[in-house]
Amino acid sequence: MASESPSSSRKVVVHLRATGDAPILKQAKFKIAGTDKFAKVIDFLCRQLHRETLFVYVNSAFSPNPDELVIDLYNNFGFDGKLVVNYACSMAWG
Amino acid sequence: MDRGTEAQKYIWEGAIPLQIHLHESEVTTLPPPPPALILAPRIGYLPLLVPLIKPFFSSTLPPGVDTVWFDYKGLPLKWYIPTGVLFDLLCAEPERPWNLTVHFRGYPGNILTPCEGEESIKWSFINSLKEAAYIIIGNCKNVMNMSQSDQVELWCSVMNGNLEAYLRISSKLKLGPGGDEFSVKLNSSSSLKSRQSALETDTTGPVKTGRIPVRLYVWSVNEDFDDLEDAPHIDNWDKISYINRPVEIHGEDKYFTLRDAVKTLLPEFFAEKSLSDDEISMPEVGDERGLPSEDANSMRSAEEAGETMCQRVESCCPSDNAEIKLLRIQGIEPKLEVPFAWVVNNLMNPEHFLHICVYIKVPEPVAM
Repeated sequence: MASESPSSSRKVVVHLRATGDAPILKQAKFKIAGTDKFAKVIDFLCRQLHRETLFVYVNSAFSPNPDELVIDLYNNFGFDGKLVVNYACSMAWG
Repeated sequence: MDRGTEAQKYIWEGAIPLQIHLHESEVTTLPPPPPALILAPRIGYLPLLVPLIKPFFSSTLPPGVDTVWFDYKGLPLKWYIPTGVLFDLLCAEPERPWNLTVHFRGYPGNILTPCEGEESIKWSFINSLKEAAYIIIGNCKNVMNMSQSDQVELWCSVMNGNLEAYLRISSKLKLGPGGDEFSVKLNSSSSLKSRQSALETDTTGPVKTGRIPVRLYVWSVNEDFDDLEDAPHIDNWDKISYINRPVEIHGEDKYFTLRDAVKTLLPEFFAEKSLSDDEISMPEVGDERGLPSEDANSMRSAEEAGETMCQRVESCCPSDNAEIKLLRIQGIEPKLEVPFAWVVNNLMNPEHFLHICVYIKVPEPVAM
């Protein structure tokens, strides 16, 4: 990953996956600017699902800080050309 | 049993003297309450101090529900950043005691993510630890499979600054920073000669030996300042680029320095010119504290590197290159010649991230 260009101007494909009883989105893959913060992904999900709070994870493992850049998350944790983001209405992975 | 290095002990015992003022809008008594003086652990987090601070101000607070937050000269402080990092980043010229303002009302939800006290901080800490594990070993099963009691004990060791307990629990996670053998090798190969041969082998075929999780706080300034006291005040978080990138350490005996690490971390500033190893100038403000044993070697190589740098600068890129004005980790300003492995083994935070604060002077703002 790190050998790829870390340039943040590129777009990142985010694959949104429902976990537990969270509703499934009609469209699961989105492109988002690498310069955006993870907070934007969280806000987007909250708006789509009409919820005030959601538990949002990367790779079914951890919740990144909302201030982290999407491009950093992609470079660190992405694979197959996308960043897998899981969302749940209740805590899925402590 | 691993009792930690000398430097680790200093860091775990390290604290910043705070003088905390209650914001005037929340003062309902006359005279206003005096400020609270308190020692804040470097590796701790500001909201963890609330139980200690509240008694100083509880009698004067207006009615309402507590939503505690802190500001420094008007800048709301991000609670998930370790206190020592906030101090290193926002106090160019260290201010002691550090004058902060506490607010118990009016949480700035547009700037700060919500904080429910200790639970939020523990959550953030464990998630950072998982992130670090993922970067180091490719998954975070060890953290996720931790027993509840180990997780609690690990968290308590951080809250209480108990390094021995921390090392005992965290060793189970098998996230060791490259291993001691690795760092001994790096530390022993301190001559420029071995460094150069290592650089040559690196170009032919790097061997992947480790990824180090790093959180970088980069402040790029346009205006020049000679003295840190004259550094402009950071009044907005938008001025800080928060960058999370791992450093990959290649090879077995390469003398991989902090300078090398910073260059790979910040290609926006240094990549195109990385033909030369000497682009980054020495931090002019670097003070001489802190790093034992390496000093003699690094001074010498610094001089030599300095000479080379002047030649390079004249020959290839005149004046438009970025310059590191300040690089601070755990309150010290390490020389850039220090082996990166030493930095990682000694200066990382308990969640296995190395937090680096950098001021970079650039002729034009760089879009990150």
